[in-house]
Amino acid sequence: MAKGFKNRKEILQFIKQAIVESNDLQKLLTTFKKGDVLFKQGDPISHLYLLIEGTVNLSHRRDDGSNLELITLSPGHFVGLVAFTTGNNSVTTCITAENTIALCFKQDEFDQYLTANPKLQVPVQQLMLSNMSDRFLKNVQLESKMNALNKQLEDEGVQLKEAFEQLENSHQKMVAQEKMATLGELVAGFAHEVNNPAAALLRSSEMLKDNFMDSENATAKTEIFKLGLVSKPLSSSDIRSRMLTIQKEYPWVKERSVVRKLAQMPEEALKIINKKKKKIPVETLVQQFEAGKFIHNIQVASERIANLVKSLKSYSRQDRNVSDMIDIRDGINDTILILSNRLKYLNLELDLLDIPQTCGKMGELNQVWTNILVNACDVLPHGGSLKIRTRSEGDYKILVEISDNGPGIPETVLPKIFEPNFTTKNQGAKFGLGLGLAISNEIVRQHGGFIKVSNNENGGASFQIILPVKEC
Amino acid sequence: MKLNRKQLIGLIIGLIGLIIPFFLSIEGLSYAGHVALGIFFLAAAFWMLEPFPIYATSVLVIFLQILLLSKQGFLFQEDSAAYIPDAYTAFIGTLASPIIILFLGGFVLADAAVKYNLDRNLTRILLSPFGSKPGSILLGLMVVTALLSAFMSNTATTAMMMTVILPIMARIGKTDPLRIGLALSIPFAANIGGITTPIGTPPNAVVLGALSNQGINIPFGEWMILATPLVVIALLFAWILLLKMFKPEASSIEIDMSGKFNTSQNAIILYVAFGLTVLFWVTESLHGIKSAIIALIPVVFLTLTGVVTKEDIRKLPWEVLWLVAGGISLGISMKSTGLAEWIVGSIEWNSFGTISLLIVFAAVAVLMSNFLSNTVTATLLIPLAVSLATSGIAGEGFNLVIVSLVIGVSASLAMMLPISTPPNAIAMSTGTIKTSNMAKAGISIGLFGIVLVVIYALFYWPIILN
Amino acid sequence: MDHQIYILVVEDELEVMDALVNDLEQFEKFFPVESANSAEEARNVVNEIYNAGNEVGLILCDHVMPGQNGVDFLIELEKYLDQHSAKKVLVTGQAGLEDTIQAINNAHLDYYIAKPWTKELLEDVVIAQLTNFVMQRHYNPMQFMMILDSVRLSEYMRTNHITDH
Repeated sequence: MAKGFKNRKEILQFIKQAIVESNDLQKLLTTFKKGDVLFKQGDPISHLYLLIEGTVNLSHRRDDGSNLELITLSPGHFVGLVAFTTGNNSVTTCITAENTIALCFKQDEFDQYLTANPKLQVPVQQLMLSNMSDRFLKNVQLESKMNALNKQLEDEGVQLKEAFEQLENSHQKMVAQEKMATLGELVAGFAHEVNNPAAALLRSSEMLKDNFMDSENATAKTEIFKLGLVSKPLSSSDIRSRMLTIQKEYPWVKERSVVRKLAQMPEEALKIINKKKKKIPVETLVQQFEAGKFIHNIQVASERIANLVKSLKSYSRQDRNVSDMIDIRDGINDTILILSNRLKYLNLELDLLDIPQTCGKMGELNQVWTNILVNACDVLPHGGSLKIRTRSEGDYKILVEISDNGPGIPETVLPKIFEPNFTTKNQGAKFGLGLGLAISNEIVRQHGGFIKVSNNENGGASFQIILPVKEC
Repeated sequence: MKLNRKQLIGLIIGLIGLIIPFFLSIEGLSYAGHVALGIFFLAAAFWMLEPFPIYATSVLVIFLQILLLSKQGFLFQEDSAAYIPDAYTAFIGTLASPIIILFLGGFVLADAAVKYNLDRNLTRILLSPFGSKPGSILLGLMVVTALLSAFMSNTATTAMMMTVILPIMARIGKTDPLRIGLALSIPFAANIGGITTPIGTPPNAVVLGALSNQGINIPFGEWMILATPLVVIALLFAWILLLKMFKPEASSIEIDMSGKFNTSQNAIILYVAFGLTVLFWVTESLHGIKSAIIALIPVVFLTLTGVVTKEDIRKLPWEVLWLVAGGISLGISMKSTGLAEWIVGSIEWNSFGTISLLIVFAAVAVLMSNFLSNTVTATLLIPLAVSLATSGIAGEGFNLVIVSLVIGVSASLAMMLPISTPPNAIAMSTGTIKTSNMAKAGISIGLFGIVLVVIYALFYWPIILN
Repeated sequence: MDHQIYILVVEDELEVMDALVNDLEQFEKFFPVESANSAEEARNVVNEIYNAGNEVGLILCDHVMPGQNGVDFLIELEKYLDQHSAKKVLVTGQAGLEDTIQAINNAHLDYYIAKPWTKELLEDVVIAQLTNFVMQRHYNPMQFMMILDSVRLSEYMRTNHITDH
């Protein structure tokens, strides 16, 4: 505080005394009722007010129309000081909060008052200064508070974001698993349905075969039929060279399509045809042979369907989503069978040593093998090799190793490979066939195991899945 | 060039035939006649056994005649009592003789008709009144085919009509005899229809060419009067025959032809030219302008206006014109060397009555053209007829024109085998008829045709011609 | 032997090849069928055919094969085959959009049959393509009237001045 006065209260006391002693000052006293407006925001202010008794509220109307309560001023404060010093319009609205008495100096006459009352000069000066410095202090405090608030908001924002991401992940996993469950149900249902017609196919083709073998007493036809049953298709170059031979040896066969069929028949069959050519027309015997071949084809195809169905059923094992004592190798074989189309052009090496049974969910584990194998198929060219090995590691652990000789996994990618949204390829329609390494990882971990990925010394990637041996 | 056995034989026989007369000395035949005989043997062997395309043989014939028989040739540079050699221009000239020009006009018209789909559109319209019953549709198809083939090539007409009936046949049951009836109706109607006008088919050209050599000109319209009644009756006979032999099982047939008349400027020009030309042809006797000259109308107007372009000109069947020219040319030398007369003189014609003569000619013509090209048949036989007439051997009442007509018409009535005419071949290639079907029907028509021709020759034609 | 028009089947799976060839049996009287199990073998067969003075009328080609795939094979032979108007048809279940576009643009593919095929579709395509071939190469259409599209061949005869004689 400046010289003479200890604080505002003293100055106020002094000024009040001065008012009592000065008629001029008394003339400047104005009494306001509660709720009176001293000045409005945007208006020019003609007076400078010094509060003697009572309080006033300063407020600021924002651009959007809302009102911001700024400050409540008490006796000893100047009101309209900023407008007085700058000459600008008021940036605030002043409304009395209670009955108030204030000294109202006309702005342009303020100096006169001071000159007329010289002993007021110092106290007024000091009052003004203290007003100003008060306001400045307040500013600083506000700034600091705002800063702290901002930081807090930022932190909360980050936390919120993290929480949201986690929620997303869980959501996706849930959806995926639900999809898997639905697919599993569909697959199981399909497998059951197809099973019956597949069985019927197999049985009927057996019976058809027996029919053919019995009905013909003529041995030539039966013999050639039997030969047809075991015939194998020839490559086109073999067919071509055989056809040239047949054309020379059987010049009396005019139809090229018949020549081709003869070219695909074994020597014994041709002997029969030659022997019987006077009695039985060539076309008849060729037809018998073909009948054998077709029936054989039907049988082979039916068996294939039946096997696929069996593998599909055991592959999905969704009819009971509970853990069971399983031999993991069965699942691996099922998976290979189901993926045979994609594995067609690769060199597949299986080294499935004996492993003990363990408790697990075959359907889920099959997802893991499928995912890894499909990834390998995607990166391997025709003729690339794929090795699948199983063996025991001690009494309590099973190792499944899937390694390829492809381009391997870049070092930068390796650590992130199990992350949920991490992928090096388009999302595309990967649904149902391996839902990502993240899920595979999850499945293995839930089984109490873990997956290790590494690059081989001589190129290619290697996935090692370790699973514990345990009872259910 | 690979020749199969038949062709090889033809080549050998032809060459031998050409040479042999040079080593013979036949009584009553001049030296020139021997030469002509050699050429005749070669022509006959080559045309019948086809070691070479028949139009090529035709040009060869012309060439040999120039080399061996013309004034500018090697053998006869001087006139002699036995033989006054023709100038070589006589032989070459056949390539542009009036009858050739007449046919050229017909080709241009037909070509333009196909190009602007006039044939298809006419077919569509003319077929519509015939309803949907198999019998009447069959008649309709045959009438339209005959009408078109009177002015266009029988074969092109047949090909076009195939596109109309093949879809129908696909819809009829596989065992329905109607399929056979339909398949046979087109070539039969096309062959018969070609008789109607001079330009209908190349054998007609041979007839007219030979007659004009004798100074006889038959106007376009007169030919039509002579031919049309016969055509109509033959057509009706064929129709009834087919219906009886191959009784339809289907109860109705639907013909599905879409399209509309081309109304572009070029098409209109064509319609006008076509109409005018036919009109003038048919009225030749009234205005006296030769049909060959009229035939130039379409050639001139359609090429001037670009309705027919040079690509179209290139694609005209020039080889048919050459084929006919060769035939006409052969006729020239057979006559002027006295060969034809000698051939004719070797046979005892007196023992034949007029009727039996006609029957024989008709029968031989029908038989031959079943195995040979119709044009070749006419080419080989008509000079004989000509000689018979001119030599007077066959006696009074032997009218050259009538006999020529008999041969020419009969040559078009051969429809027994796939090889008889290209329309027959096309029908056969569809695989819907057995050779036996065609043979039975064809023989019936052939026999009927012979009878019909003879009757006309005896009763109707003499009336018209006199 | 007379000039022959061949149908070439290129397919690596023997059972599938067998089935295709069987389905083509009715055409064999007119169009002998040859087969190859790889693009390389097919190339040799094509050469043999043309060297013997015959022609390839139609190629039915699979796409996924060991070695060169079907589309690349057809692209490689495109100039040669186009010169000779040979028709090219892909018969496959596994050509993606990219490969198919390549085949159409760079190999001038004439048709695409998706596996599994029906015998009827195969026959229709073979008839249509060989009819095109026969007309483009100006063969005498009459010999094919029974096996190919007789209506189109007749129309061809009509407009190509087949004549009387």
